[in-house]
Amino acid sequence: MDPRKNKMTKKPEKSDSRQAKQCGRREFLKGAARAAALGGAAMLSGCGGGVLGSSEELSLRWKEYFKKNYRLMTQAERDATIRRLERLAKIKNGVNIQMNSTAPIDGVLFGYAFNVTRCEGYMECVAACVKENNLDRESHTQYIRIFEMEHGQMSPEVGNAKYFHQVPVEDHFYMGVQCFHCENAPCTKACPTRATWKEPDGIVVVDYDWCIGCRYCMAACPYYGRRFNWNAPQVPLKEMTKKQHYLGNRMRKKGQMEKCTFCVQRSREGRLPACVEACPTGARVFGNLLDPDSEIRFVLKHKKVFRWKEDLGTDPKFWYFID
Amino acid sequence: MKTPTLKNCLRGILPAFLLILLAGLAYSTDHGVVQTYKNATAPFDNERQVNADLSLSIKSVRVAEKYQGGDFWTETRKDKIQRFSCSQCHNNEPVSVTQAAEIAHGEIVLVHGSETRPLSCYTCHSKDDRDFLVTEQGMKVDMDHVYQMCGQCHFRQKKDWAGGAHGKRISYWAGRRVVKNCTACHDPHSPRFEKRWPKTYSPPLSKSK
Repeated sequence: MDPRKNKMTKKPEKSDSRQAKQCGRREFLKGAARAAALGGAAMLSGCGGGVLGSSEELSLRWKEYFKKNYRLMTQAERDATIRRLERLAKIKNGVNIQMNSTAPIDGVLFGYAFNVTRCEGYMECVAACVKENNLDRESHTQYIRIFEMEHGQMSPEVGNAKYFHQVPVEDHFYMGVQCFHCENAPCTKACPTRATWKEPDGIVVVDYDWCIGCRYCMAACPYYGRRFNWNAPQVPLKEMTKKQHYLGNRMRKKGQMEKCTFCVQRSREGRLPACVEACPTGARVFGNLLDPDSEIRFVLKHKKVFRWKEDLGTDPKFWYFID
Repeated sequence: MKTPTLKNCLRGILPAFLLILLAGLAYSTDHGVVQTYKNATAPFDNERQVNADLSLSIKSVRVAEKYQGGDFWTETRKDKIQRFSCSQCHNNEPVSVTQAAEIAHGEIVLVHGSETRPLSCYTCHSKDDRDFLVTEQGMKVDMDHVYQMCGQCHFRQKKDWAGGAHGKRISYWAGRRVVKNCTACHDPHSPRFEKRWPKTYSPPLSKSK
């Protein structure tokens, strides 16, 4: 038979199968997807958004890519990037988030105290933190670690953070460790892009979009207070905390550093961090160090307090106390 | 040329040593968050400084104690007791309630006090007026102010609670100080927290799938 004719008959079949595979193929051919985005909106809508998405998304992402470091932005620029991020979340995931950039309150320096006598290791704080801060469910990222320690042990380094049994266990006590928001924070000095710094109210924050993911800060922190996103964080839309802060619990990306922010989205509005609010035993005390009438000042004045690895000179704003 | 004697060496080292010592002293007194908060003695105007809605939706009563010179509030208790007021049944008349057997407090487990001297109902509840508690000294205590009752024995905890080292504040670190009542966390009949499973768990740091 004529080979040319054979070819001719086969061709339509091939193109049919190609059209059916349109979604899958776009994963590999970004150039084709871009052409599709510019050319045919119908094709895109049929596949629920391509790799690069609509022209609006493209332009938003373009502007996001060239924005400044959070500390160099004017308030107008901060508002603009927040609007962009809200719109991007709506386009990509169809979720309405409320983001803000609430500034630190004058005359406030946040401090935290943890009662090692009262903590029973129920880990309610850990669960509340994961939910509030939109932490990655896939890699089980957690900001807080609770160490189960025998009486007489002094450092969490010898404790057990992976206990899985009914708590509390006799002759044991529990010690929570998270970011201590050091006044003299070694992590901020290690950052080559100045993507992390200490805010005037004492909270050590990360500008996720300026983080290059080098993890120098992670190595610099003597408390293992920082977490790295090895994969793109996965949070079910139903469980996502919609009220977000630019420096706090907004969605991170793959390859960005993150950490406890004393729930900046809550604490700057006078609310308690999620871990404090969730604690069923009242082992966690949070407040303003500059307010002589605050609870934290009462604890520091009247209880026996200590700080972990105080000899390093990091000057953490996180105290442990005993009853 | 004259070789440097020990005396000359000392003369050089001593001022340098003194300088380092002084610098060290200056550094230790002026720096650090401890010094920062110790220097902060001016009162902080919560309501004015914090630009946010700090109102609570829960009911609270003013505590009859002072907290660092000021007032504080605690959440109410009576409206959370299912069958309050108690005098509906306990009113010196024959009890004529349907299902009386089921609601006659049979579910209460009393694990409070030492093993040799456990507490009984009337250690806390008033015999004469069932809507109230009564202290060892015969003072009637409203159930909203139950801390007065608990504080008889647990005076150390009460002191910590009034200051903020025991118990917990509700929702806000700023604004009007509203704290949880003793009985919001502790069951007064068996106050010790139960042994139970943690809410979540921590996976090993290294991924081993």
